[in-house]
Amino acid sequence: MQRLLLLGLNHTTAPLEVREKLAFNNAQRRAAIEAFLARFHGCEAVLLSTCNRVELYVGRDAHGAPAVEEMSRFLSEFHGLQQAAFQEHLYLKTDRAVIEHLFAVASSLDSMVLGETQILGQVRDAYETSLQLSATGPSLNPLFQRAVAVGKRVLTETALAEGRISVASVAVDYAQRIFEHFGDKTVLCIGAGKMAILALKGFEALSPRELLVCNRDPDKAIALAQRFRGRAVPFVDLPDHLVSADIVVSSTGSQQPIITRELFEGLRRRRRYRPVFLIDIAVPRDIEQEVSQIENVYLYNLDDLQQVVAGTQSQRREAIDAARAIVTRHVEEFAVWHRQREMGPVIDRLYRRYHRLAQEELTRTLGKTEGISQPDRAQLEEMTRRIVNKLLHTPVHTLRRSERLGTPTAQSVHALEKLFWLDEHEENCAAEPDEGDAAPQTPRQDGA
Amino acid sequence: MPEVGQIALLILAIVLFAAGGALSLARLQSEAPRLRLAAKACLYWGVLVALAVLVWHAARRGNWRPLGDNFDTLIWLGLLLALFVLYTQRVHPLRGLDWFVLPISILLLIFAAIFGRATPHEYVDSTWSWVHRVSAYGGAVAFAIAGAVGGMFLLSSRRLRTRRLAPGPNLGSLERLERLTLAWVTLGFPLLTIGLITGLVRALDPRVHDSLGPHWYATPKVVLAFAVWVVYALVLHSPINPVFRGRKAAVLSVFGFLLMIGTIVATEFMKQ
Repeated sequence: MQRLLLLGLNHTTAPLEVREKLAFNNAQRRAAIEAFLARFHGCEAVLLSTCNRVELYVGRDAHGAPAVEEMSRFLSEFHGLQQAAFQEHLYLKTDRAVIEHLFAVASSLDSMVLGETQILGQVRDAYETSLQLSATGPSLNPLFQRAVAVGKRVLTETALAEGRISVASVAVDYAQRIFEHFGDKTVLCIGAGKMAILALKGFEALSPRELLVCNRDPDKAIALAQRFRGRAVPFVDLPDHLVSADIVVSSTGSQQPIITRELFEGLRRRRRYRPVFLIDIAVPRDIEQEVSQIENVYLYNLDDLQQVVAGTQSQRREAIDAARAIVTRHVEEFAVWHRQREMGPVIDRLYRRYHRLAQEELTRTLGKTEGISQPDRAQLEEMTRRIVNKLLHTPVHTLRRSERLGTPTAQSVHALEKLFWLDEHEENCAAEPDEGDAAPQTPRQDGA
Repeated sequence: MPEVGQIALLILAIVLFAAGGALSLARLQSEAPRLRLAAKACLYWGVLVALAVLVWHAARRGNWRPLGDNFDTLIWLGLLLALFVLYTQRVHPLRGLDWFVLPISILLLIFAAIFGRATPHEYVDSTWSWVHRVSAYGGAVAFAIAGAVGGMFLLSSRRLRTRRLAPGPNLGSLERLERLTLAWVTLGFPLLTIGLITGLVRALDPRVHDSLGPHWYATPKVVLAFAVWVVYALVLHSPINPVFRGRKAAVLSVFGFLLMIGTIVATEFMKQ
């Protein structure tokens, strides 16, 4: 019996300063999955790390490792953080709640910007990374494959992604609240990621005087600069470019801030105290929050921009409702499928075991009785089979309805395995009680 | 001396301006075009009524030269501010400008109704005196606009810095607000300088000198007027010394305007 677990935090439970400390870049994610599998053999794991969330999905035996505490400790140790630094922001979900959550995430219904399309790709990337590392199996493979399919359906069948205000467009709007003309302004882009490209598209439309691209990898900088008719500049000269820039878009993968208050304070005089619009869309952040305290500096990070976008979501209520309906339907379908898949082998074992016991008892009785014809023998066999079926009908029916009755499937299945000795190992080892053993005497049901 | 009918008409103009301002503020809750049209209509009618008061007053007085007395001067100031709002909204709209300028305009019209009964002295008719009044009050109008726009800059800047979704429209880019503040200070500063010089010349006139007394230079009006001049000199300094640009320039322009209000009040209360 497998169990689904999810431990994570997101933009609703943790502020940016906590999320950025727990964030994983691609290389870290691979390393984390490998370390996780090395520590907890036999389990499945997918690590989803985006600007808004860090979530560890685990599929494991119902009573296997890791426990929730071990998952939390793993995150803490991987990042060298005290558990107390993020513990209060974590949420834990199990089984059906994991399915509901992941489907909502993939459909961008759990995003700060509802209808954003990036999250679907990020879910797929997270899954594929684990797939390549053989970290997924019968639990997480169908779950993530279905989640991606549901996400696609929501984005194609509803208007959730239409009329959406993007983070980049909000950044451009805010730039227009600071500056009147852009023909005399310089836009500096630090980093060359997807978010930087989206932001640059918006700023290119404002026709700034100059567009500078600054990246540690000069080839990427040149490619991006050519695409936007800008100029690639060396990363080592960043302070000089900050002097000439009026708008700075930063989205590097740096684990440490690249623009500190100290650095920017030192540039103010050279900048002649001109106002500057700093857009930090990196997680972890590239620009120290203290920079925003400097006069004439307007610093916006990803959360600030996303909150503005989120403020416009009430206008798309119909699309959101339609998307939720799709997700709910698919969660139900998947949950039923998942439950049956989990229960099937157990129920099968239950019937096989008791039919075998009944058959053994019948054979023993028939061996002691003489003169029973073949048709009578067939009748008795059929009666025995029906008795077993009727006896097992109630526990099996209760098991199938366990989720609706408020008991997690895993818990009911586990109870059934223990009560009826269905654990494969135990089944093989356990000796069947003889007639003389202390097996409880069951009342006859024929009323005799 | 304004007649009761003129005061009544002036009160009507004040009510129309106030109604226009209130309707404009109501647009925070609703973007209905009717509200915009009604606000604009109130403002236009307020301007026409104030203009009618000026015409009536000038006709009664038999002197068509503006700024002949306090009543007429304060109405002119309020009217010019309202006309500035109408002109800007027509040529290059700036949302929220009326919220900041109309209260000043209304305040000046209320001042006119209260202080307008003061009888001007005969020297008011002298050329120096008239030039002094035109330049000083011209500077006051410019500084009132600079102060209002400076206030808009501070509010807009605060909204941007706190990154909160405050209600209300975009008040215009900070760059435009800063440019407008500087432009009006640039216009007002020479006018105020001329006003100060002509005031000095007027103060040396024996008729006025005797009236003001030997310590005329230490009167609140003169001290406040000089303080206003210093404050706006600092604002004007900002393109050369950028330490004063942005928020500091806006704070100074608002502060200078408050001093200017103090100067006008001092002018009305002190001996002519």
